[in-house]
Amino acid sequence: MKWDQKIERLAAQARRESPPRVDVTCRVLGALTAGPAEPLTVTERLWLCLAAASSAIAVPVAAAAVLLYTRSAQPLHEIAEAISWAIQ
Amino acid sequence: MPPREGWLLKHPLRAATPTSGDVAANGVDAVVPAADPGRADLEDVRLTGQGDADAYRRLVERHQDHVARILWRFDRDRGVHEELVQDVFVEAYLSLSQYRGKAPFEHWLTRITTRVGYRYWKQKARQRRAQPFDLQKWEEATGSDGAAQGLESDEAAELLHRVFEQLAPRDRLVLTLRYLEQCDVLETARRTGWTKTMVKVQTMRARNRLRKLLEQSGTEWIE
Repeated sequence: MKWDQKIERLAAQARRESPPRVDVTCRVLGALTAGPAEPLTVTERLWLCLAAASSAIAVPVAAAAVLLYTRSAQPLHEIAEAISWAIQ
Repeated sequence: MPPREGWLLKHPLRAATPTSGDVAANGVDAVVPAADPGRADLEDVRLTGQGDADAYRRLVERHQDHVARILWRFDRDRGVHEELVQDVFVEAYLSLSQYRGKAPFEHWLTRITTRVGYRYWKQKARQRRAQPFDLQKWEEATGSDGAAQGLESDEAAELLHRVFEQLAPRDRLVLTLRYLEQCDVLETARRTGWTKTMVKVQTMRARNRLRKLLEQSGTEWIE
């Protein structure tokens, strides 16, 4: 028997299956009743703005700090390299 | 006012009035007996548009078995299945303003059901690869004479589900509709929103991939 005939037969048998009964009425109405998310309160909005502002400031500060550290550490790095060369 | 109805009543659907002349023009609160489901559907859609939560409850109660039957082809896990059925009715409610009443409500709902199921498959395919398919099990189950007669209907459905699961969602959809739902080209096109030509081409490609899957390796990863 060819593959497609096998599939046809299986499908015919599968169509006789009864799917499980479901009752989603309450869940659907519950989901629709809940509706869109509640809008944020004034306090929550203030916190949100504060967090966003802090993040906006923190990123450039961190970048500047990395640059500054790299520059300041350069002479130290050279000294360390000189010492290791001398030891060798 | 009970809180359950609050959101529905606060946000009545705009332009959700079916155009069929069968709908009772007067009698806003009239509930059509379930003897004529088509007419009852139109009336309940109209009432839902006016914010009547009970009307939508009746629509859900009337059609959930039909939706559940289709979605059982998309996932055989009871929990997931129930969630998908719920998603269909939430999506149907949010799109109810687009229902014009020209086709039976059940047909419109079937299209949404197919869309929800297909979307679920696509999400699932992105998240993980399908379980490898054991060709030996397939041979054992179907036999060289293609019997498959020892299988119960649920076992046959499970086996077919596992086989189709190996294919890409698009192939899987067209084969599920053609083989399990027994949709012809027109009906498949109607449910998927594809053109008839696309359905024919897609069916041919999907069948070729399925043939390769069954005749050769027995494993094929979802693309």
